[in-house]
Amino acid sequence: MEDMMQDQINQLVDYIMKWCLWQFNSRAWDRKDQNEGILTKTMQILCEEPVERDTPAERCYWVEAVLLARYFKRNYPWLSKMDNNEIKLLMQGLKEKIDYLTITGSLNKELTNPTY
Amino acid sequence: MPYHSFKCSECIPERKKHAVVKGEGEDLTSCLPEGYLNTIPGTISERGCAFCGAKHVIGTPMKDVIHLCHGPVGCTYDTWQTKRYISDNDNYQFKYTFATDMKEKDIVFGAEKLLKKNIIEAFKAFPEIKRMTVYQTCASALIGDDIDAIAKEVMEEIPDVDIFVCNSPGFAGPSQSGGHHLINIAWINQKVGTFEPKITSDYVINYVGEYNIQGDQEVMVDYFKRMGIQVLSTFTGNGSYDDLRGMHLAQLNVLECARSAEYICNELRVRYGTPRMDIDGFGFKPLSESLLKVGLFFGLEKEAQKIIDEEIARWKPEFDWYARRLKGVKVCLWPGGSKLWHWAHVIHEEMGVDVVSLYTKFGHQGDMEKGIARCEEGALAIDDPNELESIEAMKELNPDVIFTGVRPGEVAKKLRVQYLNAHAYHNGPYKGFEGWVRFARDIYNAVYSPIHQLSGLDISKDEIDTDKGFMTRQMISDVKIDKEAAAASDERQYTGDYDCVTKLRGKKYPKLEKESFSV
Repeated sequence: MEDMMQDQINQLVDYIMKWCLWQFNSRAWDRKDQNEGILTKTMQILCEEPVERDTPAERCYWVEAVLLARYFKRNYPWLSKMDNNEIKLLMQGLKEKIDYLTITGSLNKELTNPTY
Repeated sequence: MPYHSFKCSECIPERKKHAVVKGEGEDLTSCLPEGYLNTIPGTISERGCAFCGAKHVIGTPMKDVIHLCHGPVGCTYDTWQTKRYISDNDNYQFKYTFATDMKEKDIVFGAEKLLKKNIIEAFKAFPEIKRMTVYQTCASALIGDDIDAIAKEVMEEIPDVDIFVCNSPGFAGPSQSGGHHLINIAWINQKVGTFEPKITSDYVINYVGEYNIQGDQEVMVDYFKRMGIQVLSTFTGNGSYDDLRGMHLAQLNVLECARSAEYICNELRVRYGTPRMDIDGFGFKPLSESLLKVGLFFGLEKEAQKIIDEEIARWKPEFDWYARRLKGVKVCLWPGGSKLWHWAHVIHEEMGVDVVSLYTKFGHQGDMEKGIARCEEGALAIDDPNELESIEAMKELNPDVIFTGVRPGEVAKKLRVQYLNAHAYHNGPYKGFEGWVRFARDIYNAVYSPIHQLSGLDISKDEIDTDKGFMTRQMISDVKIDKEAAAASDERQYTGDYDCVTKLRGKKYPKLEKESFSV
């Protein structure tokens, strides 16, 4: 079961790393905000929960989340068989993996530069 | 770490950490070369300097400006016919080149008087132009000329002119990328917020990191305008100086080349709260999603979708004709910075070509992260290669075509490897749906060029068939395709105009001509 979830997470990771740019902002704190903002909103859309988009920054996150959620729903049929708790677990795992690849496990030495 | 060692660089051990192979199962936590470091002594880098990065990449594409180089005349090299950042005002910005032409005596006695004389002369020679950018060079920086003070003096004496000073001498960074950074910050510090352009829509963006290479900007701006969006400024291709002073008034910064212009987007986000949205203008899928993203942000998704549907219906059959014939072509993707990641995945996914290597001359590790994440396994990724390494890689990988700049491109030709100009393009624009077809056509024309066969023959010793003509492109390319499937499809070769940009300039946009709007 855990292996299956890991495999599903990897499918989502592969898509994000290949087709998205938002996870690659140039500083660690920025990547943290982007990953948190966009993946949380993606999870909310997938779970059909309300999504805040009142500020311009939130609206930007929401836009990326809408496209991501649409792609996931269209291309991964197993997603429609999951209940909200499973989706939340999946998205938590996805965020941890994206954080690892782009922040905590990243070899990019510029991530901790204090200025832009 | 899966480092790759070049035989030719064994005598420069520091180079070892600048090349990696993306092996099976590798990801960014195990596979990333060093980047954006000072060039190692002994290696002949292909990089430009920080002055070049500031002036020739970012500053000069601004169209309604006298661009003055305060230094020796040689620093103005990259001008007419070496750059293709066109503009809709008859290419004023690169048709005329200005330099103070510093000599030895100026180095000894100072060149501030010379600078002031040149600024005033230039404004007098072109009285219709009231804006100027002045660029420091290594020479004027080392002698300590105070360019800011001179600019201030002139602006006080001639009140209707405005001057921007960029202090980014050639030595101000490891590569041109250092200059990108400096001019981004200088522009927001000196000029943003000092002018208020007219707002004509409820939906207003800055289009950032876009340099109108052979018309890229004009193609993309056409899409935005068709959606009803005002492009307040473009940083900086075909961009207007005063519009760029008003960047603080936009609701969204749409960022294309993050390598050269993320700095100003980040600063606009911090100082004015304007969000940054990164997009990809190349390729059917990435471009469609980019337009949808901008549309969604403003509630204009239907308008975006309409454009996408129209453009794909018009251009996809022509793209498919080339894609069918490009499948399996081996490519070395060797651009300067951002095209490394703009193209790494989409040329493979949409054209079927195999990216066997990618390199960046001046990119940072962040660019390599994007490129390596997007390319397929087995690709050789090189940071800041020297010419010998490039030659060794070409001999080892045996690519069909290289996407790179003019100088390494000429080296490739000598090895009988075809080359496409990734910086200034061959027959661009390459952005936009039609542009993507033009790119595919250029790759096709390069890979299957008849001259490629002929150049391999040595008439002093090879036997030449005198009863046969040379093979045409299609005779070569169509050997490997399924002819029945091709005949049954609606695929066709490119039918667009030789010049697909000029006609956009007089176009009317009803959605932008409404009487009132709420902003």
